[in-house]
Amino acid sequence: MMDFGTPVLEPGSANGTKQVPQFNPYQDNGGTVASIAGDDYVIVAADTRFTLGYSIPTRKISRVLKINDKVMLGTAGMQADTCALHKVISTRMRMYEHDNNKRMTFNAVSQMLSTVLYYKRFFPYYTFNIVAGLDDKGEGWVCGYDAIGSFEQRKIVCNGAGTKLMQPVFDNQVDWAQSWDGAGKPNLSLEQATDLMKDAFTSAAEREITVGDTLQIYKITKDGIQLEEFELKKD
Amino acid sequence: MNIDLSEALDTKYGRSGLSCEVGPDAVELGEEHVLTIPNVPRPDKFLSDSFKGQEAEVLKFAHGTTTLAFVFKHGIIAAVDSRASMGVYIGSGTVKKIIEINPFLLGTMAGGAADCSFWERDLGRQCRLFELRNKERISVAAASKLLVNSVSRFRGMGLSMGTMIMGWDKTGPALFYVDNDGTRLKGNLFSVGSGSTFAMGVLDIGYKYDLSVEEACELGRRSIYHATHRDGASGGIINIYHVGEDGWTKISSEDSAQKHYQYKAESTEQASAPMVTS
Amino acid sequence: MESMSERSGGFSFDNVARNHVLEEKGMKMPKAAKTGTTIVGVVYKDGVVLGADTRATSETTVFEKYCEKIHYIAPNIYCCGAGTAADTEHTTAMIASKLELHRLDTGRQSRVTTCLTMLKRHLFQYQGHVSAALVLGGVDLHGPHLYTVYPHGSTDALPFVTMGSGSLAAMAVFESKYKDDMTLEEGKQIVYEAISAGIYNDMGSGGNVNLCVITKDKTEMLKGYAKENMRPWRKSTPYTFPKTEVLTSKIDKPRTDISVVVESEKMEVSAS
Repeated sequence: MMDFGTPVLEPGSANGTKQVPQFNPYQDNGGTVASIAGDDYVIVAADTRFTLGYSIPTRKISRVLKINDKVMLGTAGMQADTCALHKVISTRMRMYEHDNNKRMTFNAVSQMLSTVLYYKRFFPYYTFNIVAGLDDKGEGWVCGYDAIGSFEQRKIVCNGAGTKLMQPVFDNQVDWAQSWDGAGKPNLSLEQATDLMKDAFTSAAEREITVGDTLQIYKITKDGIQLEEFELKKD
Repeated sequence: MNIDLSEALDTKYGRSGLSCEVGPDAVELGEEHVLTIPNVPRPDKFLSDSFKGQEAEVLKFAHGTTTLAFVFKHGIIAAVDSRASMGVYIGSGTVKKIIEINPFLLGTMAGGAADCSFWERDLGRQCRLFELRNKERISVAAASKLLVNSVSRFRGMGLSMGTMIMGWDKTGPALFYVDNDGTRLKGNLFSVGSGSTFAMGVLDIGYKYDLSVEEACELGRRSIYHATHRDGASGGIINIYHVGEDGWTKISSEDSAQKHYQYKAESTEQASAPMVTS
Repeated sequence: MESMSERSGGFSFDNVARNHVLEEKGMKMPKAAKTGTTIVGVVYKDGVVLGADTRATSETTVFEKYCEKIHYIAPNIYCCGAGTAADTEHTTAMIASKLELHRLDTGRQSRVTTCLTMLKRHLFQYQGHVSAALVLGGVDLHGPHLYTVYPHGSTDALPFVTMGSGSLAAMAVFESKYKDDMTLEEGKQIVYEAISAGIYNDMGSGGNVNLCVITKDKTEMLKGYAKENMRPWRKSTPYTFPKTEVLTSKIDKPRTDISVVVESEKMEVSAS
């Protein structure tokens, strides 16, 4: 699968005759992850389509890692890096539990992911992450990351291929972003948030070719994590 | 190639092949975890080479900013916007660009968001170690030097950071500018980022050493507002912090768009005579 | 500038040199819509069946969900297009217009081979810069014909053909299921299956299946032969949106002090 690319002409060399082989370690496998956080819940959604160029090698791949009963990690981007990253996070999570004799909190996980990503600042994981979970008071939160670990805690985050289509809708519907004074801002219930998430992914699948197949929605509440699967378009 | 920073603790030197010498204090990023460097002839060009000629989304990191800080009679004011742009896309409109390093130290964020937040968090760790070792708070000069030492080790590798480190120590208020080139400047007034020229224009006109705290906050707010108005990569919320003798306090957090209409209303009130065009 | 004077037809190359310089300086040129497509054709007992998907894309964004890629050439000739959408549409329209004039001149039905020759000459002349990959099908006095035309002007004549980014998926169906002298139903079924293979396995293709059946006596367009990819779900509760604050309002009344007086020779427009 490793693509060594085509030799490129190095600009500036005499008549462009000097050929330099290129090493390209990255590949885009698509995928979109999104999360809506409420007062006592947070939902994490990810599509399961795995893309390579214009092909779909598999329609059923999971992009979500369960950290514990209260925190989950969703990753879009390159699959190999996703696997590597999830393995590092799982290992460090287990080490943390043994060292401290307690589970990682949402805040601990979100900070750890940031540093793990930054350690590869000069050779980044080609991944776009969200960490969603319940804090110590049981309130839902989600952190969105760039590829090298800059992150921000919010109530709604979307990352990956469908971001540019979905994020504005979420900003409008969840953050009430276009409102002048926030009047009439809804406090979405778990069901409303799930419906909005399904609708956003259904719409994204209409217009973004890398989104499709199945939507996995993990619902995190004080009672644990529940998975709902929802079918998207397959074309 | 790895720079094994924990090993450097013992040897006091980085691995061969790296032009930087790793100081004993700035190394411990955490157990066996280290900043990895791609094993290619030009690691600084690695990312741009990897995505050369590719139409697909190149790895884009959060950028774009207006930040400012100035020293005055009653301490220091820091004012920033809150927009993070990734290419032409607004990655976020609610970024906290003033980083609370500890109760007496603030840092601002301009350039790469991850670079600023990581190294300023690391700076917080180093400052805490200093406190524990020396039983006194670190000076702003020393803190800013720790930061510039940290980033200097990766000079020319593509780090992007333009920050102002400020606080109150034995010498009173102190403000330093630090960037990824290894620049470190002491000064009374700085503005950093894509919108800094706009902010500086307003700031220079209104700046006096004898400003009251309220006047100084409003000057900072105005300067950032004008930058958000003219610079496409700046916008969102205007955050203001004040550094006093007892540490920093957060003054305000206001929407720049709402400020626009407030200022507009105020200016029409003030303009008693109708505008004349000849 | 040439563009200011009356044009004599053909492409305008006015901005080529300028755009070349701009691109060298790093400017990103706007992307044309591509029909990253699955188009196919098959010859059956009584004629030909053409098929196409309905997706047009620009990079990974779907430009049009239900576009028509089977273009009219003549009443007895149709042509499926893949490649740059504008090139396929204008090339086929131009040939259609020339054939119409030719028919009016001669009073005879157009022949598929005439069309083929005109297409390949045009595409060869532009050395592949007119990015049109075509599947041409029709029935004339010599019977059914089916061709593919490549962007550089080469052509093939085969009993079953595929083109576009989904051509491999579609060809897999033909290679496993094609047989000579199929019935109409068999012909439509195999084309439907080939296009579906493209729709589901190639991300550049999607949407509905459009068919076109051409026989000696008539031509039938079957738009939406299969509609398996309409929007599957919609949230049942209606959306509410934040109210947009009206900050100021000002109403301009149409001016009544202007009148247009038309005189016999010259026109005067009086304004205040």
